Amino acid sequence: MIRHLLKLVWNRKRTNALIILEIFFAFLVLFIVGTLGIFLWDNIHQPLGFAPKDVWTVAISMHQTTEDYDPNQAPAFLRLLKETQGLAPVESVAGAMVLPYSTSNYTGGTEFNGRHIRADFNDVTEDFAKVMGLRVTQGRWFEKADETTAWEPVVINETMARAAFGAESPIGKRYGDPGKDKNADRERRVIGVIREFKKGGELSAAGNYVFQLKRLNPLPAGMKATSLERPPSNLVLNVRPGTPVTFEEDLAKRLQAVAPSWSFEIKPMAQMRASAFRLALTPLVVGGIVALFLMLMVGLGLIGVLWQNLLQRTREIGLRRATGASRSDVHRQVLWEQLILTSFGVLLGSVLVVQIPLLDLVGFIRPGIFLGGMLVAMLAIYLLAVLCALYPSTMASRVQPAEALRYE
Amino acid sequence: MIRNYLKIAMKVLLRRKFFTFISLFGVSLTLVVLLVATAMLDHVFAAQAPEVLGDRTLGVYSMTMRGPESIWSGFAGYQFLDRFIRPMTKLPSVEAVTFFSMPGTGISYLDGKKIESMVKHTDAEFWRVMRFNFLEGAPFTVDDDRSARFVAVINEATRDKFFGGQPALGKTLEVDGQRFKVVGVVPNVPILRISPYSDIWVPIGTSKTDAYKRELVGDYTGLIVARSRADFPQIKSEVQSRLKEAEALIPDPKMYKHLDGGADTLFEAASRLFLPGDSETSHSERLFLIFAGLAVVFMLLPTVNLVNINLSRILDRSSEIGVRKAFGASSWTLVGQFVVENVVLTLVGGLIGLVLAAAVLAGINASGLIPYAQLSLNVRIFLDGLAIALFFGLFSGVYPAWRMSRLHPVMALRGRSV
Repeated sequence: MIRHLLKLVWNRKRTNALIILEIFFAFLVLFIVGTLGIFLWDNIHQPLGFAPKDVWTVAISMHQTTEDYDPNQAPAFLRLLKETQGLAPVESVAGAMVLPYSTSNYTGGTEFNGRHIRADFNDVTEDFAKVMGLRVTQGRWFEKADETTAWEPVVINETMARAAFGAESPIGKRYGDPGKDKNADRERRVIGVIREFKKGGELSAAGNYVFQLKRLNPLPAGMKATSLERPPSNLVLNVRPGTPVTFEEDLAKRLQAVAPSWSFEIKPMAQMRASAFRLALTPLVVGGIVALFLMLMVGLGLIGVLWQNLLQRTREIGLRRATGASRSDVHRQVLWEQLILTSFGVLLGSVLVVQIPLLDLVGFIRPGIFLGGMLVAMLAIYLLAVLCALYPSTMASRVQPAEALRYE
Repeated sequence: MIRNYLKIAMKVLLRRKFFTFISLFGVSLTLVVLLVATAMLDHVFAAQAPEVLGDRTLGVYSMTMRGPESIWSGFAGYQFLDRFIRPMTKLPSVEAVTFFSMPGTGISYLDGKKIESMVKHTDAEFWRVMRFNFLEGAPFTVDDDRSARFVAVINEATRDKFFGGQPALGKTLEVDGQRFKVVGVVPNVPILRISPYSDIWVPIGTSKTDAYKRELVGDYTGLIVARSRADFPQIKSEVQSRLKEAEALIPDPKMYKHLDGGADTLFEAASRLFLPGDSETSHSERLFLIFAGLAVVFMLLPTVNLVNINLSRILDRSSEIGVRKAFGASSWTLVGQFVVENVVLTLVGGLIGLVLAAAVLAGINASGLIPYAQLSLNVRIFLDGLAIALFFGLFSGVYPAWRMSRLHPVMALRGRSV
């Protein structure tokens, strides 16, 4: 049966080659849409690691270049923290280099047992875990006393712990191979592990994350200064539920009074979350709409071409009917032919697409997600092909044998 | 002859309405997507008001300090522009030089309501290079800039937010704790015009601290207006040699050794940003190739679709072709006829696409997705669209026409396909 159908397909190879080509391109489009869709769906279902509710952020511009660092900045920042903590609607406040949902990144790579591992970093003050609601699963979060230790404590997320230390407990371990940890001024040690911290928000993929503690208070004599003494450029604060928006103006005035030469931009984290979603979803929605129209176009085109092809084969179909084939036999033949054509297109597409995970062309998407995208694309394209074949094949099966045989 | 072809074409198109509909649907939708993309690119890169001098402007946009271990990239720093680019005004090939910062967010509170505006620090020359059409007042002057007076030019949207659309001249507004007196009001500039775009423009001297004066890499942009495009190579090499000189000022010579950058057109700057790499000249060609490649890849699917439909359409007309061949029409005549038919079809699709694209662009403008977007179709984009439609028509018509012309007259007359 299949061999016979293949022969039929081969007999009309030039027309069919074009249909296969069209299905191939349609498969590629569906694959891209499917992969991105599954990628986001997978990301949303991974834990976020922090609670953005009732958190406000303050971005600070210190109007200072990196090279002319001013030692008065740290005390001024501490005054800001103190002033903010004293306000009635504020439950807790902390400083952070990088804000959740922001587009800025701060990454570094270090070797662990000879393997180079990259991670996103964030330098924060002591209360950051409290403000953001981070969940510590092993060891502990930073304490005040950590600011003056001779080594630098770090807290990492579970993904990083697995990547760097495998199944062993990372607590107390050295962060980075001795002599290889070029990014740090002192030896770093892991003191705790948090469940997760997805800086990019719900839609971003989970990755390696490392927290370091800012050292804004005066250091003991003889201790070398490092970049950790520079104040972070953001505040995060947890306000009491139901705090009115008018508090924002009040807060801005207070901050401006403490540090007149700095500029402040206050935003509820909910707003940053909304714009992060918009930024990620807008191109996807536009792409999705375009892909939908492309598929509609392909669908209509396939119906037209199939219909025309079957019309030309009226005599062949008539002959089959005259020799005893039932209407459903004809129906089935058309559908099977269509499925064979589709399979060729899908096969071609899969061979091309499978190179992406094999050659690791897009590193940040896991191979499993590509596989999912391929399956979704296959399912969709077969569905489209069958749907497009239904109407023309019904028309073809209605052909009366007598009429078909005299058709010119 | 052509008239005859056109007549036949119209008749054929009306005969198989379903096929005609599918073809038009495909062509017009593809064109909508390509035209919207073209309109966006045109909006970003083409010289149009207020950047009327855009065609002969070079910019010092991104700069990078490079060392053996570290890279620090950003926009140009004010110190570099002030000491090395400003003196270029003396060169005979340079008409004007202007500096301005990247727009930063400025926060104001008005009657308990928060207003966010973009604030750009500029020099007075900015207003000579950017030809804004002032609705009220005038730009701030060289004197305002030099003595750091707290004056501001605002756009219409800002006037609406702060003063309810009433005349704003001479009134004051407070941004980030600084009070500015409004000296001029200009129309809104779309965010895609990155050089002129802002809500509020204030003199550079009103910055909160003077840290910007010590930066080699910072958040400033310098524009150099040349007398003509022919001067571009000379200005570019002049900027390169000044960059070399500026390397002596690198604050931490152990960490950073080189200062990279250059005077670019906007398109070159965009390619430098998106395609980082070492080679100097090939960036913009590569970016252009990427744009063109994306367009071609996107057009592949609709083209194959169109070829398929056209093939079916021709085979349907095999008896007509047989008659014409039998009466002596050459293959070339038939190919010509069919290509003309197809081009007519795609041009009709193109016109529908243009109308739809205009609607989509108006929708984007109204949605506020891109602040102050004024996306529209102009003659340039219209011609682009026509060219794309023509390309489509020829490309998807030639193969089916070739297949058609090879039909054997006897077979064709019998109604049999190849």
